[in-house]
Amino acid sequence: MSKQAVIERRRAARIESERAERARASRTKRLWRLGAAAAAAAVLAAGAVAVSSNGGAKPAPPATTSSLLAGIPENHGVLGDPKAPLTLTEYVDLQCPICARAAQSTLPALIRDDVRSGKVKLQVRTLSFLGADSVRAARVAAGAERQGRLWAFLEAFYARQGTENSGYVTDGFLRDVSKAAGVDAGQAIGQADSAFASGRLERADADATRMNVQGTPTLTVKRGNGPERVLTTSPLDAAAVQAELDREAAR
Amino acid sequence: MRAAAIGVALAGLGIATYLTVVHYAGDEPVCAVAHGCATVQQSDYASLAGVPVALLGVLGYLGVLAALARDGEAWRTAAAFLSLAGLAFSGWLTYVEVGILDAICIWCVGSAICMALLTVLTVARMLRAEPGGAVSAS
Repeated sequence: MSKQAVIERRRAARIESERAERARASRTKRLWRLGAAAAAAAVLAAGAVAVSSNGGAKPAPPATTSSLLAGIPENHGVLGDPKAPLTLTEYVDLQCPICARAAQSTLPALIRDDVRSGKVKLQVRTLSFLGADSVRAARVAAGAERQGRLWAFLEAFYARQGTENSGYVTDGFLRDVSKAAGVDAGQAIGQADSAFASGRLERADADATRMNVQGTPTLTVKRGNGPERVLTTSPLDAAAVQAELDREAAR
Repeated sequence: MRAAAIGVALAGLGIATYLTVVHYAGDEPVCAVAHGCATVQQSDYASLAGVPVALLGVLGYLGVLAALARDGEAWRTAAAFLSLAGLAFSGWLTYVEVGILDAICIWCVGSAICMALLTVLTVARMLRAEPGGAVSAS
């Protein structure tokens, strides 16, 4: 091999080595850039998720319908043992956000401890004073009642409750609620304009007027066939409601 | 690869635009396959600090398209960054649908798939950049 050839070979090797080094450096640089981009994206997304979580801070849906209500009888919209000594009646409007809060913060403990044990039976009067969405919701709830799934329907509705009077109570929405509640949506929606549904709305209004209900949610209690009286404690205060029921039971 | 990314971004932009229009029109999205679109669209999670998530999607896809329209390492990095952020947020929204709302919005799933494809394409494009900052036509 001539001296010139050796020089050329060394030169080529050096060039190749420098090219490989540049490629390595470039790859490393790109990987660092990607890492930085991924980290920045993660920070941005985490911020968005944090805001989204807070903005969407509805109370978490209660333990599923099946676990909370499973095995508890429902007859004509009354949840629990028909012979339970105390009757707790809840006056609600399905669009009312505080009703949803009460249903998710106060009712689960009552259902678990008092309804399941046969001490209390629960009934509801679905009022519809907030607007057209309330009327539609209450009417389809009556359809769910006919299927013995009123309380499951209420629970599923509250878990998906939208902005008041935004027109969100559409047939699509009601189908989703019904599906989650194990209600035959077609049947329940089909019965929304029935005389039965109208009767349920009229009864709710009449009872609310009789009890001088001033807002929702309002809880009333009745012992046996005794007089119905409005609970004086906040429906959102589970412990206070429980204490008042205990006092009523002890009377 | 760049053309494919632009195609996917345009598809995502179409979905996000449709959902934004539906949001502001107060309508329900057409939901032929699944039936949870209205539930998702009307949930509290459909807005972020008062801004509809669908509108954020429009802005995100426009940002990716703008980054794809130019070349150079900085723009490739920008496209990958936007796609990664979009994918992460889409992942969160998908979790919200399945784990919290118990409702699937087929349009949102479509957008999440677009964002996932976009992430693969933009990251691969970024990693395939020519050494020394030179750019290929891919």
